[in-house]
Amino acid sequence: MLKVQLQRSTGFPINIDFECAPGELHILVGPSGSGKTTALRSIAGLSDVTGLIQCKDQVWLDSVNKVFVPTHRRSIGFLFQNYALFPHLTVLENVSIPLLGRKQSSSDEALRWLERLRIVDLANRMPHEISGGQQQRVALARALARDPHALLLDEPFSAVDAPTRQNLYEALSELRQAVSLPIILVTHDLNEAIRLGDKITVIDQGKSLQTSDPHHLLDKPRNARVAELVGSPNLFEGLYEQGRLSWGNRGLSLSVKDKGKIKKPTEVAWVIPSHSIEIVHSEEQTNSYKINLIDCTVARVRQLGQIAVVYWQVNGCDDQIIWQASSSELRRLGIEVGAKKKIYLDPEQIHIMPIKFHLKNK
Amino acid sequence: MTIDTQALILTLKLAFFTLLFLIPFGIWVAYRLANMQKGKSLLEATLALPLVLPPTVLGYYLLVTFTNVTLFNQPLTFSFTGLVIASIIFNLPFAIQPIQRAFEAIPQDIREAAQCSGLNPWTAFKLIELPLAWRGIVSAAVITFAHTLGEFGVILMIGGSIPGETKTIAISIYDSVQNMDHASASGMSLLLLIISLLAITWSYQLTAKKRAA
Repeated sequence: MLKVQLQRSTGFPINIDFECAPGELHILVGPSGSGKTTALRSIAGLSDVTGLIQCKDQVWLDSVNKVFVPTHRRSIGFLFQNYALFPHLTVLENVSIPLLGRKQSSSDEALRWLERLRIVDLANRMPHEISGGQQQRVALARALARDPHALLLDEPFSAVDAPTRQNLYEALSELRQAVSLPIILVTHDLNEAIRLGDKITVIDQGKSLQTSDPHHLLDKPRNARVAELVGSPNLFEGLYEQGRLSWGNRGLSLSVKDKGKIKKPTEVAWVIPSHSIEIVHSEEQTNSYKINLIDCTVARVRQLGQIAVVYWQVNGCDDQIIWQASSSELRRLGIEVGAKKKIYLDPEQIHIMPIKFHLKNK
Repeated sequence: MTIDTQALILTLKLAFFTLLFLIPFGIWVAYRLANMQKGKSLLEATLALPLVLPPTVLGYYLLVTFTNVTLFNQPLTFSFTGLVIASIIFNLPFAIQPIQRAFEAIPQDIREAAQCSGLNPWTAFKLIELPLAWRGIVSAAVITFAHTLGEFGVILMIGGSIPGETKTIAISIYDSVQNMDHASASGMSLLLLIISLLAITWSYQLTAKKRAA
């Protein structure tokens, strides 16, 4: 288990904590300058922060007890964004470097790693003689060669083309089957985070806002800022009071599952996952739902290849509900600009959050 | 025309000892400067002084400083030992600056990758940083060598012109001109010019290869 609790009060303040279990791929996601790379570098001992970092049974940082283990004594594998291969050494020598001082021959062990990552034929090539994707595999082999207790990946997909990215996705997937160690990956791409991560920590302005699995993060963001950062398309504000949500200022009201946490009338932010928005197309459905049926008009339709994004203007407030469907479904339901429909919002799926500051662009 | 071989050998000996002491020291200082975060401007300026000071001024200060000082029972003025020390001092910027630039040119992530690969600072220096800075080191050595061959003002101030002890080839050229022996002055000047040109050309070729790589 890798346990990370970081604090810094001077300069750029930091307050980040998360844990990563062996075999888990934990993603740190956030906008540029949010502090996610600082967090990753701190685990490696490359950034100046205080706090506590424990990995397996070792303490790498414990500011209270004045423990700081220097980078070269931390058992980590670090994959740099630009690979950082040693340019004067061959591929084999690059991978042998972390194995220096071992009892068995470092080049034999390095060769085994090159075999595992299927780049053994590059052993005697220089880094500048191989492609970006191959360089990344070499860098990954070098990071893994010392048999680290944690693997740290700094935006590995940001500077690569699509085939190289695919190449690394495969390498990561193979790696996770072969070794069981905590893997921390930093990215600013949420889609990538959701696609790859077992757990995601959202970081913003030096703070970790939420740690959860990808689907929980999308459906139940902890607060409005998280919802905004994860790009929840249907994020609104309203006034909540005992299971009722007033939406807009023209008397529109929704039923919401009352968890009993909010007693007084409170301004809230709320989201509804896209999969919980239903376009009502029959009289039968209208009668069965009874509540949370909203009159909407199609304001805009954006075609994106096989899928279409529909912007529904809610009658009774200024907000628009964003809904995705296939082009064929659009035709089947007769949806086009100006069409009027009822939309059902599942009360169980409406997720209410505190507002720390008012939403931008709303 | 006579080439003052004694002066030539003495000059080469001086260049050899200067390189022997100055290059390791230069590597150490340049490495420290390259990794220094704060307050290095004053230190850099001090080390660069020999570039801008008139050689006679530097020579004068060294003469004043070295008077009545001995090292291994050798006086430092008008002796070969003093000449070596003076040569090390006036060559400081020529040795340190190219090496410092070479260390500074190593990307930060390469240094960090060495640490993350478990290399302690000394091993990282030996296996990664030093080999990556070697062109800067060779370049520094060549420039120092060429500069030592041709230095005149400082040598004259601190060493005078004692044959076999402090009379370098540059001093010998001066003496030849004073004695109206233009043939010898011309021969030795041409020799210095060729050696210097070859050395600098080699150094430039190395730098050009680095750029192309």
